[in-house]
Amino acid sequence: MTATLVSLISIFMGILGGNSTKILVKNNSFDVIGNTIAGVFGSIFFIKFLGRLGFSPQNIVDKGIVNYQLFAINSFVSFFGGFVAVFIIKKIVNKLQKDTSVTNSDFYT
Amino acid sequence: MDDMLFYDRLQFAFTITFHYIFPQLTMGLSLMIVFFKWKFLRTKSVKYNDAAKFFMKIFAINFTMGVVTGIPMEFQFGTNWAKFSELTGSIIGQTLAMEGLFSFFLESSFLALFIFGEKLMGQKLHFLTGFLVFLGSWASGWFILATNAWMQHPVGYEILDNGKYVLTHFSELFANPWLLPAFLHNQVASVVTSSFVVASIGAFYVLRQKNIEYGKLFLKTGVIFGLISSLLIAFPTGDWNAKNVAKYQPASFAAMEGIFETEEAGAEIVLIGQPNMVEKKLDNKIAVSNILSFLTYQDWDKKIQGMDQFKKEELPTNIPALYYSYHIMVGLGTIFIGIMFLAGFFLWRKKLFTIKPLLWVIMFLVPFPYIANITGWYVAELGRQPYLVYGLLKTADGVSPTVSSGNTLFTLLGFVALYMLLGLLFLVLVGKTIHQGPKHQTH
Repeated sequence: MTATLVSLISIFMGILGGNSTKILVKNNSFDVIGNTIAGVFGSIFFIKFLGRLGFSPQNIVDKGIVNYQLFAINSFVSFFGGFVAVFIIKKIVNKLQKDTSVTNSDFYT
Repeated sequence: MDDMLFYDRLQFAFTITFHYIFPQLTMGLSLMIVFFKWKFLRTKSVKYNDAAKFFMKIFAINFTMGVVTGIPMEFQFGTNWAKFSELTGSIIGQTLAMEGLFSFFLESSFLALFIFGEKLMGQKLHFLTGFLVFLGSWASGWFILATNAWMQHPVGYEILDNGKYVLTHFSELFANPWLLPAFLHNQVASVVTSSFVVASIGAFYVLRQKNIEYGKLFLKTGVIFGLISSLLIAFPTGDWNAKNVAKYQPASFAAMEGIFETEEAGAEIVLIGQPNMVEKKLDNKIAVSNILSFLTYQDWDKKIQGMDQFKKEELPTNIPALYYSYHIMVGLGTIFIGIMFLAGFFLWRKKLFTIKPLLWVIMFLVPFPYIANITGWYVAELGRQPYLVYGLLKTADGVSPTVSSGNTLFTLLGFVALYMLLGLLFLVLVGKTIHQGPKHQTH
């Protein structure tokens, strides 16, 4: 296995994490489309940002040998990244809609 | 070593083919979304705004899938093509980094604002965010094509004593004569894909008698964009590109056109034929005399070099695949012009929405622009072989020496499995969006 495949598995974990909000925090979740999109970006952000601590795909695979402990950490962080992204984006969207619901003029009348 | 090269190339071919399904739609679709939003600002007709928001949702799914499949590409440069990255990194790294830093962030930031910020920003700013998404997606194409253009026709570089390539003139990366025609051809091709997708969804709604008002709008817009882009893909952009190949990669030109022997009194254009690599000729050939010379040099009798004029090591490594890819692309492009011309005619006569057989054809035609786009890229990449950087660096010299072929094969199998899952997820998400339809969200 090469680092390339690890990076893809990592993003899949983010998609799972994003969609797990539907079960874990129903009120802070989108539909499957929104959860998937946010999950992808959340996992990429977390792995790019936190992966530098030593569990990026390049660190996990060295000359074809996989470090399964680092792989597990990477997968967990990715899952968590997807979960957190949905949670935060949903909060922001709720806030935006709340703030604009009164002040928005009716453009179409 | 041969095994290693084979699996590295196979993996890259598979992953890039799957990846390119997504950006080819987003680039073209972003232009059509800007058009819908602009029409809304001009006419105040809500259906245009709904159309823009509906297609932005499809755009977002495609964009996300493009990101998912694009991230592993980045790793492949390091894992499978380490020697290539080491030698040319200071050149291709610049355009690839610019793509990430400028285009990707521009596109993704304003995509989020477009989706969530309409009420907050008002309509004019909302239009601007849509325009910036379009700008980001086309800039992304520009930087990727600049990278590829340097590989096809290297300019503005020097080779250091340690064998590494460095830029002598940064501006030459973007003034590369290969770049502009390739970029325009690629972008117009993506508009062909998006217009067929929009028209296809429109035909689906009209045939199903569901969301009919939107169906008609999508059909009309898709057909008009499709007709214009199908013509532009052939001329001037396709013509310009072919002339570039004839000028800078004459061996590839001969191979893709199927010219085995040089014809002194002008070259024929081959419509149908199968390359016979043993006897060095085309079997069952149907060709028209002197047309190729005229199209390439505007001279009926101009000589065009055949493959017999080149050494074996100068010729592309897989001539049949190159020849077929080119002819599939050109053949499909011709069919697109015919169908869109017919649809445009009936649209003008106000009969398009009632001719069911044509609507069925438009609906089921949607995979073919994808095939044409992908085979077009195969032409570019197979035509460049046996080089990674044309005339300078052989493909065999660019692979990573330490990654075993077994390792690459395992990764490739993993990709096939995960991409099947991803493809299924993509179809479900897009299918769900189309089923929901362009909901009227503004009242």
